[in-house]
Amino acid sequence: MNLNEFRRVLKQAFFVPLLALLALAGVLLWQVTDAQMAQRWLEHSDRVSTHVAELERLILDQETGLRGYELTRDPIMLAPFKDSAGPIDAHFDLIRRLVSDNPEQIANLVRIHDRYLVWLGFANNLLSTPNPASDNVQNHRAKDLMDAVREATRTMSQVEDKIRRDRMAHAILLERRELMVIIVGALLVGIGLSIFSLTRLRQVSRAYQGSLDDLQERSNELFESREWLHTALRSIGDAVIICDAASSVQFMNPIAEELTGWPLDQAATRPLQQVFHIVHERTRKDAENPVEKVRRLNKVIGLANHTALIARNGTEYVIDDSAAPIRDKNSNLIGIVLVFRDVTDQKRTEAALIASEKLAVAGRLAASIAHEIHNPLDSVTNLHYLLANETDPQKRAEYLNMAQQELKRTMQISRTLLNLYREPNAPVNVDLKELLEGVLLLLQRRLDTQGVTVQHNFDGNFVIEGFPAELRQVFTNLIINAADATGVDGTILIRMSGVPAEEFHGSGVIVEILDSGPGIPDHAEQKLFQPFFTTKGDQGTGLGLWVSMGIVQKHGGTIRLKNSDDSDLHGACVRVYLPARTLATSSSRATAHVG
Amino acid sequence: MMRSHTILCVDDEALGLQIRKAILEMAGYQVLTALDGNTALGLFEGNPIDVVVLDYLMPEMDGGQVAAAMRRLKPRVPILLHSACVDLPQETIEIVDSSLPKGEGPELLLNRLQGLIEASQFPMGSNR
Repeated sequence: MNLNEFRRVLKQAFFVPLLALLALAGVLLWQVTDAQMAQRWLEHSDRVSTHVAELERLILDQETGLRGYELTRDPIMLAPFKDSAGPIDAHFDLIRRLVSDNPEQIANLVRIHDRYLVWLGFANNLLSTPNPASDNVQNHRAKDLMDAVREATRTMSQVEDKIRRDRMAHAILLERRELMVIIVGALLVGIGLSIFSLTRLRQVSRAYQGSLDDLQERSNELFESREWLHTALRSIGDAVIICDAASSVQFMNPIAEELTGWPLDQAATRPLQQVFHIVHERTRKDAENPVEKVRRLNKVIGLANHTALIARNGTEYVIDDSAAPIRDKNSNLIGIVLVFRDVTDQKRTEAALIASEKLAVAGRLAASIAHEIHNPLDSVTNLHYLLANETDPQKRAEYLNMAQQELKRTMQISRTLLNLYREPNAPVNVDLKELLEGVLLLLQRRLDTQGVTVQHNFDGNFVIEGFPAELRQVFTNLIINAADATGVDGTILIRMSGVPAEEFHGSGVIVEILDSGPGIPDHAEQKLFQPFFTTKGDQGTGLGLWVSMGIVQKHGGTIRLKNSDDSDLHGACVRVYLPARTLATSSSRATAHVG
Repeated sequence: MMRSHTILCVDDEALGLQIRKAILEMAGYQVLTALDGNTALGLFEGNPIDVVVLDYLMPEMDGGQVAAAMRRLKPRVPILLHSACVDLPQETIEIVDSSLPKGEGPELLLNRLQGLIEASQFPMGSNR
């Protein structure tokens, strides 16, 4: 039932009983009027009867006066006779008017009047006769005439009485009918109104019940959907905290409760910083409140690297997290949702993997290094033997000079080896040309053995900021990969070029390593940078490119691998972009983000 | 003293080779040197060689290939594999008569060469 229908019912409920009662009142009024009319006719009959009786009395008075005069001849005795004449006429007029509606009574009245006039004529005649003789004939005649008047009067009275009786019966009938009408009318109106009210009330009640049911259903649906979302949020494998725009905690799922050490019922409405206490893993400084950061940047954010969550009991977790704004329909920030997970173990594993790859790189170099060092050592040992047995000063000087050269070479190799591990704390200026030459020196033996020719074109000044040991690891990896790909008698081309600043990156250096191998197989392209993916079977750890990518990304650079479009070398082409100025710090994350 | 024995020294390390030559000459041997496999095989074929001192890691041809080629030319000439390489392939070790890592000192090298020469000249005592 809508509002209009409800208003209509309200109007009906107001007007229908009113109209019904008015109709009932009308009927009752009609009945009462009828009864009153009957009563009036009854009174009318009474008046007629009264006046007829009065008329009879007046006529009798006249007769009595006449009789008295006849007996006494005293004119005083005639007073009633004379006095009554006027009233009698008046009564005749009055009665005539009263019975004007009834022809029978008019006829009766006319008869009375006629007989009275006959009698009166007789009486006047008698009076006009001086000293009339009183005889029986005249007396009898007078009596007869008067009897006739009386008889007519009686007739009229009887007729009027009968009329009155009829009217009385009619009035009683009307009264009964009135009573019946009142009872029946009241009953009918009562029942009608009851039924009407009942149906209308039922209608309203049904509509009300319907609304209640709807409301209940909607409320159930709302409850269910709320429960559903709640369950979904609670079931998410990552920790979830939702807080309002004022940084007050609204919701936490069980994992968030576990990591922060705060149960939701205690954390609710507390400030986020108290529950979700995050610091930089190394500097121990408080990290920026994610709500403020989201408000400031107005977008989904990942929190800074090396963020550590300090739980209520002091336990520390390295977390990986993101925070997203929650907006209302007018795009106002009404809260944020934080999603984070404990990556402490993952970080440890990653660190172990990175270390293990570093070892693997060193291991791969170990044979060449041992060889490189053993050769000059062997020479020095031999020279020592020669010196012990040589007496010619010139020759001795020559041998010493040779020993000096060999030792220098050993030192150089040893230093290169050390540089592979020794790392400054802050980025330093790195001459990529020098660095690549160093890498090639270490790899020379291996490349020679594999029969791989390396061409390079390093003309120019390529100095960038970075961490040399890590970059050496990257290029060692990439060159070994290229050499493994080309196989015997292959060719590797390494070229470097400077790039100016563009929209998406600052100025820097691009190093390209092309090989004459078979190129990248289609199925491998997507997975090359994923950890443990290798095309070398047991020979590879599958970590090289993954670690290399992490290092390059840490430097703010990019690394791309595609098939070469060079006309001479049709194998793979690795393109490494390194920015001239890096934002990296020694503690930056070096794990690759594989997109 | 018999005629001095001729030793062919093969190594791509020029300085090391020069020093080794001085040692061997000081010990009374005649020494031929080659910086790569092809040169070595030329000298080996064209000269009477009593023993070969062969490096393993060399560009173009490695010690194994050179040794195999020498065996085809003159199977009886003893070959000493003298390398700084730590992981020599098994089949190369099987081809050569003996192997000696670099850096063990000249005395050991001279002893080993003496042994090889004697063994080759008195075949009954050969260790092959």
